[in-house]
This record gives sequence, structure tokens and C-alpha cells, in this order.
Amino acid sequence: MGLILDKVPAIIEPIPGGSIIVTTIDWAINQARANSLWPLAFGTKCCAIEMLMATGAAHQDMSRFGAEVARHTPRQADMMVVAGTIVKKMAPRLRLLYEQMAEPRYVMATGSCAISGGPFMYNSYHIVRGVDEIVPVDVYVPGCPPRPEAFFWGLMTLQKMIKQGESIRHPGTRRKPVLAALPHGVSASDIRDEIARELERENEIVLSEAAEARPWAKKVREWIQTQSSAQ
Amino acid sequence: MTVTIRKLDELLQPPAAAESGLNTQEYYVNMGPQHPISHGSLRFVARLDGETVKQVLPAPGYVHRGIEKMCEHLSYRQTIHLTDRMDYFSALMGNWAVSKTVEKAAGIEVSERAQYIRTIMAELQRVQSHVLWWAVLGMDLGAFTPFLYGFREREIISDIFEETIGARLTMNYVQPGGVMYDIYPDFAAKVKKVVAYLKPKIEEYDTLLSGNVILQERLRNIGVLSQEKALAFGCTGPVLRASGVPLDLRKVDPYGVYAKADFNVAIGSRGDSWDRYYVRIQEMRESLKIVEQLIDNIPEGAHTTTKPNVKVKLPEGVHYGQLETSRGILGVTIVSDGKEASPYRMHFRSPNYCNLWTITELAPGWRIADVIAILSSLDLVIPELDR
Amino acid sequence: MDSDAVLGAITRCEPSAQARGQSDTLAVRVPLERLLPLLQQARDTEALGFNMLMDHTAIDWPERSCFELLYRLYSTRHGHALLVTTEVPRENPVAPTACGIWPGAQFLEREVYDLLGVLYDEHPDLRRVFLEDSWQGHPLRKDYQDPDMLAAP
Repeated sequence: MGLILDKVPAIIEPIPGGSIIVTTIDWAINQARANSLWPLAFGTKCCAIEMLMATGAAHQDMSRFGAEVARHTPRQADMMVVAGTIVKKMAPRLRLLYEQMAEPRYVMATGSCAISGGPFMYNSYHIVRGVDEIVPVDVYVPGCPPRPEAFFWGLMTLQKMIKQGESIRHPGTRRKPVLAALPHGVSASDIRDEIARELERENEIVLSEAAEARPWAKKVREWIQTQSSAQ
Repeated sequence: MTVTIRKLDELLQPPAAAESGLNTQEYYVNMGPQHPISHGSLRFVARLDGETVKQVLPAPGYVHRGIEKMCEHLSYRQTIHLTDRMDYFSALMGNWAVSKTVEKAAGIEVSERAQYIRTIMAELQRVQSHVLWWAVLGMDLGAFTPFLYGFREREIISDIFEETIGARLTMNYVQPGGVMYDIYPDFAAKVKKVVAYLKPKIEEYDTLLSGNVILQERLRNIGVLSQEKALAFGCTGPVLRASGVPLDLRKVDPYGVYAKADFNVAIGSRGDSWDRYYVRIQEMRESLKIVEQLIDNIPEGAHTTTKPNVKVKLPEGVHYGQLETSRGILGVTIVSDGKEASPYRMHFRSPNYCNLWTITELAPGWRIADVIAILSSLDLVIPELDR
Repeated sequence: MDSDAVLGAITRCEPSAQARGQSDTLAVRVPLERLLPLLQQARDTEALGFNMLMDHTAIDWPERSCFELLYRLYSTRHGHALLVTTEVPRENPVAPTACGIWPGAQFLEREVYDLLGVLYDEHPDLRRVFLEDSWQGHPLRKDYQDPDMLAAP
């Protein structure tokens, strides 16, 4: 794997047609990574029941997304699903677990406690308000607790991110797709067209109206009036 | 006067040389806070001699959110959503405990319909909680099949909760004065179908896991908790009943409409892990019996007697209420100063906190795998003991 | 036994115990030095038989400058309950430990030490239980200041 990532782009890309090979390798690696995300079973509280246990069970099945193998050791996991409240006593352990995971690693913050502290945000002396104060988060899944279907939405968003975002040309950089967050019925070209229209409208000048708005316009008009009435 | 305050590091003495002929050494191993026993984030520091556990030091606090301090800034109805998140397998019973205390203190009446609904929902949740405990016990001991079966049953009961309440796990349903939403018209028919579905399943589980010789070997005579020790530690719930003490608040001090239902209380004789296991299997059967008896007789009426936005003020003093959750007696102490709409001090007597510390007496002398079996049979939910 | 009979039996064992008002369950108040004898007799007397310590907690009363300790007892044989309260001064909050009577009390006392700062004399293992050993302060006190705590707007 290291050979492909380090040496291949530099050797193959200068060859005419080499970028096709590099993008195909990109595509293959991203497909493999996205379709076999192994979660680290890190659940502290109620979200763990819905996110890790209910989704692992038969009714909502996590293994149809390739994520069935929930490892308990960070050395063998790709994705850390932070399901539950993180408190100050637990925070150093969370950071340790994150650092023990091997690259490429992803973090999904599920549940409102992991996103922002949740119901315990105010008046609690022991809570960490959001797990993104400790580890960099890729996907946020809101809910208290989120339904297992919401967890799958988050998983699919992460899969989309991986398939679109990473490239062996720039290993370690991830591009979060804006496209995954768009609401229904809106596409990127719609947004582009609307921005262009608004800019044009802002920059349009109707000369006659602009002239009327000047302070000397009133005096000119009055002078014309006096001239025409004088005649 | 000798008050000595210690730290955990001081207790971890350098290991002593072992007694037997082989040149072995005792060592400390950290079990947790993140480990495959999915009860939550509980850390044990275990002193091991080979694989035999010599001493266990539980170090909780990895999910301590300061709920008791938070409650001092919230009104009574607002504290109820925090009780959901303590023992989330008995979320409705946690809500009911606070509601009960507030109702008794403020003199709020509850309609008969609301009591019936509360009792039926609480018993369904007890079945759901014990099914999950059974599933996780199987998984902890190495069998993955009970996990899948147990969660299938959980989904079926969660569907009823979702249709009535809107939430699957953290419900915030039982409020002082009644329940938040009324039941929908074919609630009784659906619940009867679920009960008819679950009854043969529990017999199936009994045969599947209880009859398995491996499970029996791993649970019989392991971790025997005597009656005196259980009472001295303040254990309640199935742990205490397995040791032979018939304390079940549903019979001793009935609340809701438990007095109208005819059911038995499962009592163990030896107090080992097997008794703790079988008491819960029996409780599942009894809970279904209670639901069957009550489901056809829900009276008409209002589902709540208080309006949603009224702030309740309790008279000055100490108020206490308790009820039997799936794990033991949850007690709520509210201290009110008579002036504010929020409690001066709110304390939850957590059954899991008292049950946890028995592990310091039960674990020494057993191997690690047996300690896991003992922990599973104690059925702890860590966020409740950490509050 | 009903509440009056229990109250009568308690005051016979321990004359300094008085009924504590403003409680919806039976409660007695006892001075600090008579706490342990009362708890011992509550457990050992046949008629009272309080063999379970259900709960032990404390309340911080800064305006009375004391901590009020609550011991909630229950008897499985007779089915009655009792709340025993006592007060320790806030500047020197040292109370005797009830571990000799109910071994499970040591863990409830550790929690009260951790969150409120009440010290227990002769406790076998007085350590913080929820917070880290290096945490400064006792959060459930009314005068606890913490810049990290966020107040609701």
C-alpha cells in the first residue's frame, strides 16, 4: 500500500495518459475504503445502544454497508463512532484511542452529546461540549439518540466523502463534499446560476435613474423648467 | 480522629512475589473504560496472579455528567428528561420515579387511565430491558446468537413505544400528573399481539441458552453473594432477590395499578450467577402476565391532569419516592426550599451504584472469564451509577 | 410497625433523637455524637431491625453553615423505613463512618466526600469516586465556582 501511495503517482503521472491510471487507482482505493469501514465500538451511553448495538443487529443491519466488523481495538478499526457523552475524565482516553487508530481514519460524532454536549450542555461541570474539541470530526449525525436510519445516513455521507474526496496525489487531505449536504431538489448548478444572477443584478446601472439620484439633477431640471416657461 | 484521603495511585502497590513454586509475579491490568463488555464506560483495575483475580478496584466516573447539580437549575418537569438518560433501559420507570415524588409532595392527582398506561408501559420496558440483558450476557460469554435474537424482540417492543411516544429509547413520557400523550386507538390490540408473540420466544430462549451446558458451567456456583452481604451492601432488585430476600416494591409497597395484577416474585436460593440469571428470565414471564391482565381494562378518562407549562412548586422539606426499576430500587430525594420552582437538592439513589461494589467481594479468587460472567449477571448500567 | 411505633422505639433507644419536621417519610434528627449509637441500635434491635442502608447523602446549607447528612434506613423483615439526619459544621465537616454497621456505607460515603467534601473519620478507603483524584473543589457545594460551567441563557 505504501508503494502505491508514495511511488506510483510520481512515476506514472508524467507518462502521457498516466493520469487516467492514477484516477482509476484513486477510484478503486476509495471504493475499497468506503465499502468496508470498520467501526471502533466506542459507545459510552444511550447512543451506543442505538448506534452500535441496534444497527449491528438483524433488524437494521450494518453489515450491508460493509461495516459489520466492529472491532474493539483501535488498531484494527477505520472509523470511530463516538456514541455518547464525553466527560473530562474520559477525554484523554478518547484522544489516546484516536491516536492509536491507523490512517486513514474517520470520526463520526453521533448524537447531540458528541456534537455539542447535548442535554448536558448547561450547568454541568464535567462535560466536554462536543467531541470536536478533542478529535477532528468528519460527519455529525444529530439526534438524541439518532435513529439507526440516521446513522446509516451519516455512514453513507461518509462513504460519499471518501469516494469523492481523497486522492493518492494528496494523501492525508480530505475534501468534504458540499454536494452531500445539499437539500433535496437543489443542485450545485442551480446555486451557481442564482449567484451569477444576483451579481449581475447588483452590478446593473440604469443610467437615467442614476442620473436622477444626483443632487445637481434637481437644479438642472428646475433650470430647464424655468427656460421653457420663460419662452 | 483519623481522616486519611487517598489517591488511586497509592493503592496500586508494587506487585508482590507469588506464593507457589513457580516464579510468577502479580501485575495490574486495566479493564476499561473502553472494552467489549458493552455495559458502558467502567474501569476496573484488577490485580492478577496469572489469570486469577486477586483484587478488583472499580473506578467509575467516566460518564459522570453532574446530573444532580444540573437539576438544581431546572424545573421538575425538566429534570425528567435527564432521568431518561441515566438508566436508559428503564427510562419510563426513571421518569415515573420523579413524577411519583413530585405528585406525592405537591398533592397532584393522577387519573386511573394514566396509572394503567404507566404500569403497562413500565412492564413492557422491563421485558425489553431483561431481553437486552439476556442478549448482552450471551455476547459477553461468547455466544453471538442471543444478541441477534434479543435485538429482534427489542425492535418489536420499540415499535409500540415509537407509535405511542415518538421515541425509541429516551422517552420523557411520564410526567407529574399523568403521561404526555394518550395511547392510540388500537394500542390494546397491538400489545396483545406482541405479548402473544413474546411468550413462546421466552420459552425458546430458556431452552436455547439456559439449557446449554456451557452456560450452566459458567454460571452455577460462580460469584455467590450471601444474603447478609447483599443486605449489607444495599443491593436491590434481581441481585437481592437471587440471594433469597423477597424485596420487590411492586408487591411490598404497590404503586400504579400493580395491586390489581396477580403475579409472582422470583426468589433465588443460593445467590450465585445462575440464580441471578434465572430470576430475570422468570421476571420476564411475570411481566408479560401483568401486561396481559391489565391491557383489556384500561379505563376511559384524561391521560393527564396538569397542563404542560405549569411550573410545580413543592412545599419546603425533604421528599422521597422510590420504585422498582429493572435493576433495583431507584429512590429520588428532593429537597425543596418552598420558594423556587426548581429543587434545592435532588439526589438519585441509584441501584446500580450499590450493586457495583459487590464485585469487590465477589471477584477475588475467580478467573477473568468468571469475573466477566459475574459482571454480566449483576446487570449494571453505568450511566446511572455515574449520574 | 407503623410510624408512631417506630418513632417511639427510636426515642426509647436514643433519647436525644427528635422528630424532624418537613419530611414526608418518618424522619428523626440526632446530634452528631449520638449518630453511631443510634444507627447501631437501629440495626441491632429486634423490633426495629433496619438491616439495609438504602441511601446516604448530604445537603449543603450555607446559610446555616452546616451540611445535613441523611441516612435512609429500611427493614426487610418488618417493611418500615426511617430517615436519620444529623448536622456537621461546614468549616470542619468530619463525621463518623457507618462502615462498621453496614459495609456498603463506605461507597456511599465516598460519593458524599467526592461531591460535597464531607470527611469521614476512620474510613478505610476515603478517595474520590467520580471525579479525578486531582480535581479541585467539591462540585455540589453551593459556593462551587467553575469557569467551565456554562449557565443557560
